[in-house]
Amino acid sequence: MNDHIRKVYVPMTETAFYILLCLRKPNHGYGIVQIVKELTDGEINLSPGTMYGSLSKMEKDGVIRFVTKEEKRKIYEITELGERVLNLELKRINRLYQNAKEMTL
Amino acid sequence: MSNIKKEIKFFNVFQYDEEAAYLRKMHKKGWKFVKVSGLGSYTFEECEPEDVIYQLDYNQEGMKEKDEYVQMFEDCGWEYLNDYFGYSYFRKEADEMSEGEDGIFCDEESRMDLFKRVFRGRAIPLILLFALTCVNLATQIMSSREYVFGNIVIVLIVVVLIIYLFVFFQFAKKYYHFMKGREMK
Repeated sequence: MNDHIRKVYVPMTETAFYILLCLRKPNHGYGIVQIVKELTDGEINLSPGTMYGSLSKMEKDGVIRFVTKEEKRKIYEITELGERVLNLELKRINRLYQNAKEMTL
Repeated sequence: MSNIKKEIKFFNVFQYDEEAAYLRKMHKKGWKFVKVSGLGSYTFEECEPEDVIYQLDYNQEGMKEKDEYVQMFEDCGWEYLNDYFGYSYFRKEADEMSEGEDGIFCDEESRMDLFKRVFRGRAIPLILLFALTCVNLATQIMSSREYVFGNIVIVLIVVVLIIYLFVFFQFAKKYYHFMKGREMK
């Protein structure tokens, strides 16, 4: 994992986090938008400009890869590097959560 | 046949938000955006006044795979209209916007990315073009003392320079705005 990946993905944006989380199973951009909407009870609506830009940036960074095309929709999945980055982030978020719980008891 | 109206309006490369606001305002007044062509010539068609959100994106990669790019926006309920100098135009009725949705971008990172794409795609070529014009002019003036059109060209260059200064003022303003937004986070 190089410095660029560390700088951009640890910590990462909420958009990047949800993309990685969803792409543990192959999916397309709009599929991710729908899952995230459901997961957050409609609170997080990922917008198409943000999604399109994030997916192509993340593909270039090698954290996700293009799999195939289905009716004009590009299907992506997480890479091994993406999984490592996601695990680091999950650890960080978990620590945040634990600390917040302890401090607000 | 419905009425058609044309309006000339200038927006510099960094004023995509202002341009989107202008199109929304026109639609509210009952003029639906059809296209923009030439040098800032906007064509509108008469319609029922409605609140419709307009958005501009600048994405050269998206242009290369237009079908996939447009599909993503249409899936999210944005109507794709057309392109103008690398900018793509989208619209969606205000009533159809999801909760908390305020455009085609939903975080500061991606708004900053758009800004960077515009800078790389539009501003840098303009700077280079301007620099080349200056160099070209300087060499012409130096190589011939009786350069007849010298004065006219200098006036033109000054005009262009003023436009450039204005554009870069806009750029600086927007950049400052982004940075301020970041510090607050």
